[in-house]
Amino acid sequence: MSEPLLSLEDLTITYHTSSGPVPAVRGVSLYLARGGSLGLAGESGCGKSTLANSLLRLLPSGTDVSGRIRLDGNDVLDLSPGRLRAVRWTAGAIIFQGALHALNPVQTVGEQIAEPLLVHEILDSRQVARSRAAELLERVGMPAARANSYPHQLSGGQRQRVLIAMALACDPLLLIADEPTTALDLMVQAQVLALLEELRRERDLTLLFITHDLSVLTYICEDLAVMYAGRIVEHGPSGKVFADGAHPYTRALSAAFPTIGDPAARMAPSGLGGDPPTPGNLPVGCPFHPRCPLAEERCLVAEPELRPAGPDRGAACILV
Amino acid sequence: MNPLAEVEDLHIHFGPARAVDGVSLKIMPGEVLALVGESGSGKTTLVRAIQGLQPSTAGTMRLDGTTSAGSVRKHIRTIFHDPGVQMVFQDPTGALNPRQTVYEIVAEGLRISGQVTDEEQRVAMALSRAGLRPPESFFGRFPHEISGGQKQRVVIAGAMVMEPRLLLADEPVASLDASIRGEILALLRGLVDDHGLAVLVVTHDLGLAWNIADRVAVMYLGRIVETGPTEEILQRPRHPYTQALLSVVPEATGLEQQILTGEIPDPARIPTGCRFHPRCPLLQSGTLSPEIARRCVDDDPGIIGVEDVAAAACWAVIDAPQAG
Amino acid sequence: MSLAMQRRRATAARVGKQFRDSRSGMIGLGILAVFVVMALAAPLLADANQLNPVFARNAGNPQWATPGEFGPLGTDHIRRSVWAQFVWGSRVSLFVGLAATVLTILIGSVIGIVSGFFGRRTDAVLMRLTEWFLVIPFLPLAIVLASVLGRSVWNIIFVIGITSWPSTARLVRAQVLTVKQRLFVDRAKSLGAGGPHIVARHILPNVSGLILANATLAVPVSILTETTLAFLGLGDPASASWGKTLEEAFANGAMIRNAWWYFVPAGLGILAVVLAFTLVGRTLEEIANPRLGGDR
Repeated sequence: MSEPLLSLEDLTITYHTSSGPVPAVRGVSLYLARGGSLGLAGESGCGKSTLANSLLRLLPSGTDVSGRIRLDGNDVLDLSPGRLRAVRWTAGAIIFQGALHALNPVQTVGEQIAEPLLVHEILDSRQVARSRAAELLERVGMPAARANSYPHQLSGGQRQRVLIAMALACDPLLLIADEPTTALDLMVQAQVLALLEELRRERDLTLLFITHDLSVLTYICEDLAVMYAGRIVEHGPSGKVFADGAHPYTRALSAAFPTIGDPAARMAPSGLGGDPPTPGNLPVGCPFHPRCPLAEERCLVAEPELRPAGPDRGAACILV
Repeated sequence: MNPLAEVEDLHIHFGPARAVDGVSLKIMPGEVLALVGESGSGKTTLVRAIQGLQPSTAGTMRLDGTTSAGSVRKHIRTIFHDPGVQMVFQDPTGALNPRQTVYEIVAEGLRISGQVTDEEQRVAMALSRAGLRPPESFFGRFPHEISGGQKQRVVIAGAMVMEPRLLLADEPVASLDASIRGEILALLRGLVDDHGLAVLVVTHDLGLAWNIADRVAVMYLGRIVETGPTEEILQRPRHPYTQALLSVVPEATGLEQQILTGEIPDPARIPTGCRFHPRCPLLQSGTLSPEIARRCVDDDPGIIGVEDVAAAACWAVIDAPQAG
Repeated sequence: MSLAMQRRRATAARVGKQFRDSRSGMIGLGILAVFVVMALAAPLLADANQLNPVFARNAGNPQWATPGEFGPLGTDHIRRSVWAQFVWGSRVSLFVGLAATVLTILIGSVIGIVSGFFGRRTDAVLMRLTEWFLVIPFLPLAIVLASVLGRSVWNIIFVIGITSWPSTARLVRAQVLTVKQRLFVDRAKSLGAGGPHIVARHILPNVSGLILANATLAVPVSILTETTLAFLGLGDPASASWGKTLEEAFANGAMIRNAWWYFVPAGLGILAVVLAFTLVGRTLEEIANPRLGGDR
């Protein structure tokens, strides 16, 4: 079996804040094969965005990162600054959330898409870079003439397409999408997801898709990993994990996205009490136990490790 | 039974932009109506006008049969005000003044309307009904000391303390974590079931409508294009726009995906005839008869929204040959 | 309402703690304390008679005495104690600085709030008024006003107040516009609140922090303005402000004579007080801003 394109081993990330250390990611291991697609689901405070940013070492300086991140054979955490800059955007690129803030308001979108091409010296003429940028815009479904527009002149969906074009500029192997469709309307979201799927197949991209919307992940990702309190609490094929989660949190999260037409969900909104835990303040034992409908005394003893829950599946719950 | 609230031919124009372009609605007591649409549909503008935060250009609103008091200004822009109508906002953090305590926030409505008797009791009752118990422990807290879900409950308590008959909820759970949405939605549904309240929920989330709504009205570019009981509209949609929306809902049940091209047009340049016709997959499929296709391009299908049964503003539906 | 009192005490305690944590803020506060005490305790520190040239001559004070020869700071060209001028001058400088700032802040805040809250035509009119005052050249106006109204402390306060309010007004207006957009103002409106309630309960509390910080930073400006006016000879001839001291020192050749004890103390005094207010004001601004930022 060939080496996975992305592998994380026991990744632990701790922020240093004025109120003390905050463990945002606590020992995450995952593997993503070339050409595969993995969805990372979780709510606020679970650590998914921190994890995404760590893959290209985009976390604030002073953050403690331990464990291993291997991307296309490179040990990301060990790279020298020069090698790191070379790897960024060419091996892996990120599509950020909140397109309006991720784009420079005083540069045209064409210039911004061309920027990585020039920075990485893939093309050395401004002109050629600009025409490449226009090509990329067309590839993501926008007229090339729009390259001269400024971000504020574009709609939310168009800005998101610009971010995708930018991410593809250097032909990366891995595409990390951090909540790319969260602020978008239903139809625009469908358009963007279809585009991502098309691009993935066309360029044999590997996709890491991060979101809180579990239902979107089942559409676009083969595999799914659910994060809670900085750890992965379940993983497996996306359809199965969404439809029949082994971990009680996964089941609760799936139930929050009812299937239309399901009589069991009619007039019966389902959710959990309490709130997602704050990283600096985790409960003892299993961090989910205060909100878990199946919690027992055993759950307070220790935090469960991932254990097998079916073929290619795992869940971090002692009841599995 | 008489409707609790009625909106008749409401128009809200911002210069050439017709954000709400003729909407009629009726809401019965004890029901939840979900107003569904994408951004640019006018749903938020409509609800803000019903709450009195947005002047309207034309049309009337009635609560309990009496036309709402309005202040008529120079350009016939009226604003509706009625304490019987209260609102729950999309962003609970923004909706709470960071300098006020939870008690002051909930009591504010009472103080403004001069209802001074039993203030503490009423505040405690409202907090309790909204699921914040024991209510006294929340009195002195500030918004930054409570969680997102709790903030939304405070907003709901602040609305419920006024004993409204109609609650307007603008994307009430959109900014909350997915795992806690269920509880807030159950709370809203509970208020309807226990107190005979009517709720108008604005949302882009069709799953939410399936969860708690009795009826659904779908908006597109300032008009209601389809309306009817939830089961009907979400499982047997007849308007092509509703059909397309349902086909792309990730939680949809096996409908073939119809991804529309382009985006909602500018409300200052509303298409002629049926405003959806430039993007309509049904029209583009070529399966419509030439007479109906001509109507789609030339004739406006009109205003729907106050029918007792399911209705769709679509010529293919209106002009469909009746089943034998 | 005991809740309101509790809340006020909690806020004050919080602000106090944050302030104490700031080294620059505490240094500023310390310097201020020294000068405020000096101003208040002036009668105990220096004999007011020493400000009177007639008394000074009769008392046999030497002229141009160095600090070693007479008192802590020597004497000036007409035999008056420089120390007395320094101590009593602090009173005038601080008083004029504070009073003029109060006037500035009052006018500026009211105009800023009215303009920002009512918007449209009111805003347009008030902003044009603000701009008019903003572009009037300060010195010619001050000279004209001084000659028309006469040179007294109260007129100086008036002149400074009348010319300094525009920047406060614009700052307050900008903040009011921001607060007006916040969702909780919409919520108040949907509860039936009218203008006065919204301004009093929602706008003011979220603007007051900024106003206070701005005020603290406006005091040094007022003090420097008073100094400038006095230095140019427009000050109150009867009062002994630091600006006046500087003016007299220069006018009577203290520089040529190297009589540093005459102008250095006043200059340093101004510098110290301005620095102190700036440090305190900046600290308050930092404390005020995160709270005004509000959202998570």
